[in-house]
Amino acid sequence: MAQDEREKLMDLSLEEKIDHSKKIIREAIDKFGTEKMAVAWTGGKDSTTMVWLFRETCRELGVPMPRCMFIDEGYVFDEIWDIVNQLKKEWDLNVVIVKNTDVSDKAEKVGDMIRVADLNERNRQEIAKLEYEEEEFPFEPESFVGNHLMKTVAMNVFLEDNGITALSTAIRWDEQEARVEETFFSSRENPPHTRIQPILHFKERDIWNFIFKYNIPFCVLYKEGYRSLGAKGSTVKMADIPAWEQDLENTYERAGRGQSKEEIMGKLRDLGYM
Amino acid sequence: MLGFIKKKLGHKGGKDRVVVLGIDGVPCSLLNRFIEKGMMPNLSALAQKGTLTDMSASIPEVSSTSWSTFMTGVNPGRHGIYGFTELRKGTYKWKFPNSDDLRSSTLWDIAGRHGRKSVILNIPSTYPARELNGILTAGFVALDLKKATYPESAYEYLKGIGYKMDVDTRKARESAEALAGEIDSAFEIRKKAILHFFDNAEWNLFIGVITETDRLHHYLWNALDDEGHPQHGFFLDFYKRLDGFIGEMYERTGDDVPFIILSDHGFTTIKKEIYLNAWLKEKGYLKFRKDNPESLEDMLAESRVFVLDPARFYIHTKERYPEGSVAAGEYEDLRRKLREELLALEVDGRKVIKSVFFREELYSGDLFNEAPDLVALPYEGYDLKGSINKDRISGKGFLTGGHTREDAVFYINRGVNRKDINIIDVGPTIMSLLDISGNNFDGGSLV
Repeated sequence: MAQDEREKLMDLSLEEKIDHSKKIIREAIDKFGTEKMAVAWTGGKDSTTMVWLFRETCRELGVPMPRCMFIDEGYVFDEIWDIVNQLKKEWDLNVVIVKNTDVSDKAEKVGDMIRVADLNERNRQEIAKLEYEEEEFPFEPESFVGNHLMKTVAMNVFLEDNGITALSTAIRWDEQEARVEETFFSSRENPPHTRIQPILHFKERDIWNFIFKYNIPFCVLYKEGYRSLGAKGSTVKMADIPAWEQDLENTYERAGRGQSKEEIMGKLRDLGYM
Repeated sequence: MLGFIKKKLGHKGGKDRVVVLGIDGVPCSLLNRFIEKGMMPNLSALAQKGTLTDMSASIPEVSSTSWSTFMTGVNPGRHGIYGFTELRKGTYKWKFPNSDDLRSSTLWDIAGRHGRKSVILNIPSTYPARELNGILTAGFVALDLKKATYPESAYEYLKGIGYKMDVDTRKARESAEALAGEIDSAFEIRKKAILHFFDNAEWNLFIGVITETDRLHHYLWNALDDEGHPQHGFFLDFYKRLDGFIGEMYERTGDDVPFIILSDHGFTTIKKEIYLNAWLKEKGYLKFRKDNPESLEDMLAESRVFVLDPARFYIHTKERYPEGSVAAGEYEDLRRKLREELLALEVDGRKVIKSVFFREELYSGDLFNEAPDLVALPYEGYDLKGSINKDRISGKGFLTGGHTREDAVFYINRGVNRKDINIIDVGPTIMSLLDISGNNFDGGSLV
């Protein structure tokens, strides 16, 4: 998408943004139906916004709400479970908890070592694909191997087993540089499916405006200062004031997460490296 | 203060205590010059009662490798930190080694196993903090204070005083003055934290590192000799304050306790930056599929050699890389040819490469296979770089000072047993002063 078009969409008013998202969702339902569709829900603010938009659009169209896929990567905040369970009930959602239990069953706690040889064939193949050659790896949801097995593989197995043809995710253009090339629809291989990305044009500030305007329940961790929620071990508070009161425009939302590569590169560049 | 006095009395004789003050990137020659000028009276007095000498740093001469060599007493072939950047095994994706990648025990790991407590503050490449018998807060590249600090109580203290993990170097983009302000405030808070833990924590091994010196040098080295430079006074004043801090630390330590000062490399004026990947491109050794490559993922398979910062040459072998093009039989000839050509490389009619080492001349150990195939060292004033998107071989960057391998500094308030000192010897020296023997170090004790 051209930069000016992207900027135009990002400059829309909140109501116009909501309308645009609903239009994308209608298009998706038209094309794929809701039976073989799933909505990736993390319990975080962005995907909760997306779930609400789906629910509204489905209600308007008179079609059933697609199922929500929640990935349990083995280290989920209790506060996240609370909001997921609350909304599941309040909004009457069909939530499928997706978990790579073959891996998580081998560890009692995060940090425990898991032997590659103890895993099932699928997981062993996935590790081989990563060209990871050690005999063991630590059970760390955001580590190289852990992230792949507990998130990507768990999700792919769910997509394959259920023949999902379209998966909606809540990424946004303003989250990080690498996201600017994303489009509302994009096709994926392995397994083949279409990604629907209906809230790309929302800014972090829009999400909070939306949440307060429509009185959407949200995870208490945001109130404690977390801006962005990942796995428990790698997510940190950005400040002690609520997320929506922080300087959203001039600081990095994801700096509190394990996604530190850009930051490290920036620091190295400042000292003349890279 | 009371706790401090009590502790001093309790440790009379200092048999089981060592204090180390790290001063990142400080050249011995600069300290000698300031001592002569009478600007560093405390250090001058210390030099009288001990040994102040120059020291060789690690190769490559970057903080991550040099401090890792210091903190393990072994060569990179055993500790595994060859630089700030690597490629993830079997891929061309960036990897940034951190404390999880350090494969040898640290001095505080060893001390801990012998029941000694350590306080380790701001050593580069210790992030994220690992558990230890004592306290640690990590230095560059540290991203999050909580993950940088062990235990939680130390984090709470540091958070409470508004501790800064590093100088915000982005300020340099605003102005030299803004950067000086940043260096100043980072230095103040660093001293405060160091003295707090010195006085209030229990320890046998105390290591505190000042990294503001390195940032000052990188950005404001040109202010050192240029009296007209707006930050000239700041530069000199910074060293007077550093001397004040050395005096303060020494007063608390006392003559009986071994007191060590060291830096991890020297510094010099950058005449020119040399872009080794641009040179490889010109020679036809390296090809990218884009004009502005973003990473080595954009490298074409037919490439023979590439460089990671600062001057680590990797031969693109079939054995080591998924798309490698160099067969085992070609390796030896290729690296010999490269060494010859590098030693002959001239910029503006002057040679820039002083020496080129084959990997086996520098490294040994379990992680030898991860070593660069060749490493180059420049003649003074040429800053070797691994940037991948330069189209000229040489140029000027935004930094005015660059690292040197020679002319790092070592001080101890005692005599030493030899003249040629390398940073790899400092860890073994500390262990010997703590009376902990039986370690398999590559370096040797200086006392």
